[in-house]
Amino acid sequence: MQYNPGWNNSSVNLLHVRAVGPSDTLHYIWSSIGAPTVLLVATESRSSTLGINWTQLLSPTPAGAIWIDPPSSVVYSTAVVFTKVFEYSEAKTLEELFYPMYDLSNFSWDSINHTLNHTALTAEFTGIPATDPSGSFSNGSLAFRVTAYEASGRDGPLPSLLHTANSSKVEFVLAGVALRGNSSKFVLEVATVEEIGVVQKLRSARSIDDEYTPTIFEMLSLVAESQSDSSTLSFLQWKATAYGSQTPRREDSIQCRSHGLQAANWTLPVSSIVHAYFGEGVGSTYTISAINISFGGEDGKVYQEKHYLSWSALLGFGQPPKDTFSPLVISITAVALGTPMVMLLVGSSVVLFAQRKRYSEYEPIN
Amino acid sequence: MFIWQVIFALGALLNTFWLMDLGRFVFGIGGESLAVAQNTYAVSWFKGKELNLVFGLQLSMARIGSTVNMNIMGWIYSRVQDLLGYTGPSTLGLTLMIGGITCLFSLTCALILAYLDKRAEKLLCKEQGKTGEVIKLTDVKDFSFSLWLIFVICVCYYAAVFPFIGLGKVFFIEKFRFSSQEASAINSIVYIISAPMSPVFGLLVDKLGKNIIWVLCAVITTLASHIMLAFTFWNPWIAMCLLGVAYSLLACALWPMVAFVVPEHQLGTAYGFMQSIQNLGLAIIAIAAGMILDTRGYLFLEVFFSACVCLSLIAVVMLYFVNHLTGGDLNWSAKKREKLQKVAATE
Repeated sequence: MQYNPGWNNSSVNLLHVRAVGPSDTLHYIWSSIGAPTVLLVATESRSSTLGINWTQLLSPTPAGAIWIDPPSSVVYSTAVVFTKVFEYSEAKTLEELFYPMYDLSNFSWDSINHTLNHTALTAEFTGIPATDPSGSFSNGSLAFRVTAYEASGRDGPLPSLLHTANSSKVEFVLAGVALRGNSSKFVLEVATVEEIGVVQKLRSARSIDDEYTPTIFEMLSLVAESQSDSSTLSFLQWKATAYGSQTPRREDSIQCRSHGLQAANWTLPVSSIVHAYFGEGVGSTYTISAINISFGGEDGKVYQEKHYLSWSALLGFGQPPKDTFSPLVISITAVALGTPMVMLLVGSSVVLFAQRKRYSEYEPIN
Repeated sequence: MFIWQVIFALGALLNTFWLMDLGRFVFGIGGESLAVAQNTYAVSWFKGKELNLVFGLQLSMARIGSTVNMNIMGWIYSRVQDLLGYTGPSTLGLTLMIGGITCLFSLTCALILAYLDKRAEKLLCKEQGKTGEVIKLTDVKDFSFSLWLIFVICVCYYAAVFPFIGLGKVFFIEKFRFSSQEASAINSIVYIISAPMSPVFGLLVDKLGKNIIWVLCAVITTLASHIMLAFTFWNPWIAMCLLGVAYSLLACALWPMVAFVVPEHQLGTAYGFMQSIQNLGLAIIAIAAGMILDTRGYLFLEVFFSACVCLSLIAVVMLYFVNHLTGGDLNWSAKKREKLQKVAATE
């Protein structure tokens, strides 16, 4: 984990996480330059490095300011950009009233230097709007909490996502942000950048297993599939829930829905690191698609009460991890179902035996 | 009972929580002893006749009562709200007072019943005190193994039904994408089914006997429906209807069994004990179920409930064999029972 490699200034945030495997290296580059963005690059070499031309990166034309050395080792690259936060309220007439959106590229971000934790591999990007005419952020802030993993396992706090060493977690946190409507809801817009030949698909998997995230049965994942051999290249995976508390419990659950993945025909914020890496060729060398994720159900009042919202998603390369039944569930089921069967067998043989004995006693009389 | 409903309502009226608590507490004591007395009465009047049917009818009435209550109280509440023009503790208090009127009605019925019982005793020259047993806790140590097995069946079975219904609404909303109303509807289907089905099953069990087999069927059906809910996405209406049928069958066949394994003078104690450990079990399991749900989710909860049902299945199987080996009369068909009764009468 490296903070602003090669740049002695904490006015901008760029975090480079490098995961070295037996024959490959994965690069995660998190940055709040422009909109909050994460750049994922998979390379075939164990020694691939990240190069940044800082003066060019911070200039209005950043194209080419971020690269991987050697360029030939790059196998696959993608980016996820958190572009905007909308707020809307559903009136009774089913009309949706949208408030002025928060454009995350116009936020001012705190330095993540003091939030870096090199043992837990976490960092937190906290920001407030540069101009806040409505005063919603006077007591609040918006944050992206980033966690990298050294080994596979499962998170302790809910939603307890299963992760591998190849993945990272991003947690979107709204704390103390005032609502502008009585029962309005927030929507986060997430955009993904893919090379030509790779398509994004939204998969919803409903499972009978909610053991790790009580009462949540739906797992959503946005997967990037290669068009040539339909293999899964990368994923962004989340449970259909957000939580309204710093120590999430089942009853703090906030319903989370996703709305239509679509190709975005607009351009990304200019100064984003996406431009720095991918260049200016939207449509020709890469495509952008976007999805909206809304927080709050029909009669959800959790945010109104707690003024806290946290939504976690896992992102990584390859197939998204899948939950399986825990051994405890399997063993309880086996014992619970097996015992009556065994008893039935043993019992009937005992009864048969006893009957035969009784008959044999009667035999002399007959 | 009436008095305590009034206390409860007063508590709401004056918006004092402890008074409501006191009302609930004493209401609980009254309600449970009422249930025990009811069961004992039923047995003393109908043993050897249509006991299963009577239990079925009792259950059916209770279920109709709760269903009507669930649907009508909200309506009364909104009516009172309209009448008073505002919402507040007094609205609730008044609604509960209206509810109390039903208690008054039941008090009248109880008085009539007491009179009838006295008259019956006089007419039939029954021995005094036969219905009004003294309930002795020391009787507990004389209970037979079969009775304990019946207790186990009862506790484990009810524990897997009522706490589940209590926590079920969110399950149907989240897992099966039901709307809030649909989830309430499916949650109350068990009660709605058991109201008309209980007398039918009661009659059936009366005609055919073989109580243990019926209990076994009910427990297995319940197990199947829990497994369906836990491991499949099949339409939950199937599972819940099965559960409703199984529940009413079990209630009709299980409770009268107590009367066969307990001498008549201990009947009150046995029913009282059964009721109280059932409630104790329900209370403990409800707390445990809430904790399981918070930490492990619905799949684990369903597995837990299935394990409870399996435990009661084990108890039923054991009861069957114990009864078979000791030559008990629990599993006799109705014909055999009748014959034996005739023999006993002629002797």
